Amino acid sequence: MIDFHTHPVMIKELVDSDPELARAVRDVFGLYMPPQPLVTFLDEMTEAGVDRAVLLPLDCTTAHNCRIVSNEAVAELAAKHPRFIGFASVDPGARNAPKELERAVRELGLCGLKLDPAIQRFAIEDKDRAYPLYQLCSELRIPLVMHCGLSWAPSGLARLARPILLEEVAQAFPELRLVIAHWGWPWIDEALMLALKYRNIYLDTSIVYSGMPVDTLQKVIADHIGCSILEASLPNQVLFATNYPRVDMRRMVRGIRALGLSPSTQEKLFEGNARLLLDRRVSG
Amino acid sequence: MMKSIIERLGIQTSHETELINITETVRDLVANSGVTSGTALVLTLHTTTAITVNEGLADLEDDIIAALERLVPAEHTYRHARFLHSDGQMAVNAPSHIRGALLGMQVMFPIENGCMIMGARQTIYLVELDGPSFRNVVVQIIGA
Repeated sequence: MIDFHTHPVMIKELVDSDPELARAVRDVFGLYMPPQPLVTFLDEMTEAGVDRAVLLPLDCTTAHNCRIVSNEAVAELAAKHPRFIGFASVDPGARNAPKELERAVRELGLCGLKLDPAIQRFAIEDKDRAYPLYQLCSELRIPLVMHCGLSWAPSGLARLARPILLEEVAQAFPELRLVIAHWGWPWIDEALMLALKYRNIYLDTSIVYSGMPVDTLQKVIADHIGCSILEASLPNQVLFATNYPRVDMRRMVRGIRALGLSPSTQEKLFEGNARLLLDRRVSG
Repeated sequence: MMKSIIERLGIQTSHETELINITETVRDLVANSGVTSGTALVLTLHTTTAITVNEGLADLEDDIIAALERLVPAEHTYRHARFLHSDGQMAVNAPSHIRGALLGMQVMFPIENGCMIMGARQTIYLVELDGPSFRNVVVQIIGA
């Protein structure tokens, strides 16, 4: 099982050694819990039945003068612990962003890109700053996880993160494999429409707004969208994801299992789709 | 002369729900405290863990966990199921809190001749109810 959406923001070994990171996690990311030893993260995965987790950093140098975990730190974690799959983040506001992305992939061995227009404060449709990154992701054959919808970060602006803004991107970059994080909630229908039309658009299940995960996932996926739609049209485009540590993995896994999806769709959602998306960049 | 000694234990738990035997650790703290007559208080600093005493058998540990899960089911509608702004996290662990409330947060034993007075079958447990996590337990030894 692969969790496609986790944040390495509560790891004591990282946060305690870097006061600037501690400030960024608190003031920019908006997480106020004390950090936990790295082993807690790994044990949480084990307890939930999650084999591997994608680590998503965030470079918000232009917007907030910080990096919420550096690419180097993510690469180091992934190198030390093969259960982690490290993604990069670059600041679209920085002129050297494409160069930094290329370095993060080719030299640090990171497997994808994370962008968050709500926190990084950039326009998804910005042809000068964002499009070169989309182009590079296509060329490097790495997936792009784009935060969409509600941002729990104190300064996050959800209006910058509407899924519908990605339609032109999907058309301009048909080779780009683009993950709409959080299924774009509350704009789940926009996200659904895009995934139905564009086969290079993926949806992640880290829908976190209220209620127990088992209830939330039931309401959004089963009652609103319909499991039959997922089974018929999207079995290859939905990725299991939690948004840990905004919510625990154990209860998210149980919430997905409670949907009663077919064994084949569950296998794809929990692991198969992620493996294909990562394009054999991860093994084991 | 009466004294009060505070000892802090850090315990890494590995599972969502588990009973961790801390009896020997507490006994050692008492033995090393120099207190020969008094009391030992063992308490957890968390609201999703508990401190309890029971017979130290694996089957009973399993039965206690199973009983807690029956009494306070994971799948139920709880009001404590929302984003907690003070934490920046979802609060989706109402069952953990309620199970902890049922068990309690502390136990106390008398100390006589430098040893805790305990029943032969009594075992002190830290009960993890929302793990894995790093947990803090305090032992206060009061006496002379």
